[in-house]
Amino acid sequence: MSSKSAKNKQLTKEEELLLQDFSRNVSTKSSALFYGNALIVSAIPIWLFWRIHQMDLYQSGILFAVGTIISTYLVALAYKNVKFVLKHKIALKREDAVSREMTKKFADDKKMTKKEKDERILWKKNEVADYEATTFSIFYNNALYLALLIVCSFYVLRSVGPTFNYLASVGLAAGLLALFSTSTK
Amino acid sequence: MATTSTMLASLVVVLLPFAVLGSTCVSPDVKTETYTTTDGMASMDTVFVVEFSLKCKQRVENLNLYADIHGRTVPASKTNKADSYQISFSEEHKNLPSGSYQVRLYDDEGYSALKKAQRSGDGESQIKPIHTFYINHPGVWKGPLLQSEFVASMVAILVWYLAYTAKAKLQSN
Repeated sequence: MSSKSAKNKQLTKEEELLLQDFSRNVSTKSSALFYGNALIVSAIPIWLFWRIHQMDLYQSGILFAVGTIISTYLVALAYKNVKFVLKHKIALKREDAVSREMTKKFADDKKMTKKEKDERILWKKNEVADYEATTFSIFYNNALYLALLIVCSFYVLRSVGPTFNYLASVGLAAGLLALFSTSTK
Repeated sequence: MATTSTMLASLVVVLLPFAVLGSTCVSPDVKTETYTTTDGMASMDTVFVVEFSLKCKQRVENLNLYADIHGRTVPASKTNKADSYQISFSEEHKNLPSGSYQVRLYDDEGYSALKKAQRSGDGESQIKPIHTFYINHPGVWKGPLLQSEFVASMVAILVWYLAYTAKAKLQSN
């Protein structure tokens, strides 16, 4: 009985793929990509406030570290959210092209069953959509983050001191980015 | 006796022009060196500084000179070099646009005649300056047409706009 229920609980490969396809979780590889990119883009403001706003790099080291860590977390969150929204749309858009190409590829292969072919197509579709959504999400969020940051630090917070300007503009840019990423439109 | 006084009088008559000419400069040779403000970002006013050397045919010591620039008369100050003078003149940037400015140099006599003419309001141009030269002012630089942060913002917003349209296209059904 217990072994049977355990067997029932085990998901088939297809179900796992389907789950992975629709889950909000990201793989370790793409998570590393997200956090790495988020760290780089969050560190850019340090240069801006060091060279342009004339803040001392060592004196404000703790401030920069805290700002970068908070911003990295929020930017990575935004990457994940946007990727999740985009992945399904991209999968739908690329579905036909992927299955056409894969069918052409397997056309000569007589040994492969239809089920296996479908599985391969589903897997490929998932891979294509995942890759495109990941890279596009990084691009989109980086562009928005930098635009928000520049406008905040040079125009919105023009008259305040550089220390507060750093905290507020990084916080505002990352916060707004995370907020916008939750929208599904 | 009468001949002595006549001779003396004629001597005075003959020598008087030379005595008068002693304080004026005959056929002056002027070499100028000018400076004008070009950086409008760092300075409040446009300044013209002219340093010139004046050599007269005869030796003239302690000549008082005045310069008339742009409708204003400023005294020239003697520098520590021999026969060398300096004039400085400043106005707001907008009052001194780029162009060529005429500078007329007057000595004491010319200056008083000029003042008189200015008071009575006529014949100012008839008073002959001892020398005239031009200052070429290339105009002041008022900073870049676009601020660099504006350009950076515009580029960032443009890139985001492109990303946004691409995203909207992906999300459209």
